Amino acid sequence: MGLLTILKKMKHKEREMRLLMLGLDNAGKTTILKKFNGEDVSTISPTLGFNIKTLEHRGFKLNIWDVGGQKSLRSYWRNYFESTDGLVWVVDSADRLRMEDCRQELSALLLEERLAGATLLVFANKQDLPGALSKEAIQEVLALDEIKSHHWCIIGCSAVTGENLLAGVDWLLDDIAARIFTAD
Amino acid sequence: MSYSCTSRGNSQDPSSAKKPAGNNPGGETRGSGSTDSSSTSSNGTGGSPKQAAAMKVKKGCNSTDAGVPVTTEEELLANTVITPEDVLGLQKITENYLCGPDENVYNIDFTRFKIRDMETGTVLFEITKPPSTAGEKRDIDPNAGRFVRYQFTPAFLRLRQVGATVEFTVGDMPIDNFRMIERHYFREKLLKSFDFEFGFCMPSSKNTCEHIYEFPPLSEEIMREMILHPYETQSDSFYFVDNKLVMHNKADYSYSGGP
Repeated sequence: MGLLTILKKMKHKEREMRLLMLGLDNAGKTTILKKFNGEDVSTISPTLGFNIKTLEHRGFKLNIWDVGGQKSLRSYWRNYFESTDGLVWVVDSADRLRMEDCRQELSALLLEERLAGATLLVFANKQDLPGALSKEAIQEVLALDEIKSHHWCIIGCSAVTGENLLAGVDWLLDDIAARIFTAD
Repeated sequence: MSYSCTSRGNSQDPSSAKKPAGNNPGGETRGSGSTDSSSTSSNGTGGSPKQAAAMKVKKGCNSTDAGVPVTTEEELLANTVITPEDVLGLQKITENYLCGPDENVYNIDFTRFKIRDMETGTVLFEITKPPSTAGEKRDIDPNAGRFVRYQFTPAFLRLRQVGATVEFTVGDMPIDNFRMIERHYFREKLLKSFDFEFGFCMPSSKNTCEHIYEFPPLSEEIMREMILHPYETQSDSFYFVDNKLVMHNKADYSYSGGP
């Protein structure tokens, strides 16, 4: 039995997953985290550090990490890569001016060795805003079709209404579970 | 982080959490729960027989503790460095703080505690504290802010699932490896042990962590005893930086409050 198999078995026992949520500042990471867990989202302030939630969902023990996205904090993101099973990249679909910035940050992340084994979920957030780009448009701008290194999926959502948050997380869990919990 | 362990039940009462009792000489708490963070310098549990054998392996009360050598408070107080394994071996609530307030060299400051009932979304308890200002001598008692007293009604013990949030700030040095171990006891019985690794904390950051969990099942008899004997339910919260104890907070709990 190889080390990887043993590690997979250990994780399987606890069915534990670590999800890392990143994105530019004001993308809506904290709002997604709070809405997903049934918290009030009327007053959210910029995250100057991290917000963690641990919860059970569909029999999985989830540790979700939301790390602040301001430019000055992005150099700290690397400290949270270790053991990440799922990367959630949150996009403000209405922030057309920073879409190129968004693409660059994501493509840099996908080169990170310690994220190599992570499934990527892209949340095209703020679909409720009138000026929002569609998820198809964002898929193109972010050049998602060129990603060969990771399983990925893009889902349009609204953190404020909660639309599609569950669908996105469930897709992510299914993909991770299929990869790491069915080793034998 | 402070909440209490209870059994599963089929009722919940959004009004079950009252404002906590306790005085607040430092005057440094505020928020919806108002003044609850009292300070104490002694937190006795009443004498109990000391553990006889120092190195026997305890029976696992929960999975994280299985196989950890038993330790006693007396042994640990003699150590210069206290590690996570040390406190995981403790068999009961400590009578003393296992480190001094001055060991918190990273200036970690807990600024908010919140408990909500996940079934109704009701916030049962919330206290916030303005961050301390460096150099400000507000507290005459050096242990101020290290102890919280919670007062709940019996209905609290019937909650099924709660979310317990802590918010903390970090001083101007980054922390590589921050870990929390929290142990809840009723008398000598370990009700719950939390062990969570925050890992890296950014300098000058404000961070939150919410644990959403189901209460462990407790027998009717223990619940009755817990209600009858306020403040005999107690918790120790230990905080480690790079596997060295840097903070120790305490709390106690009553479930005998009126509606």
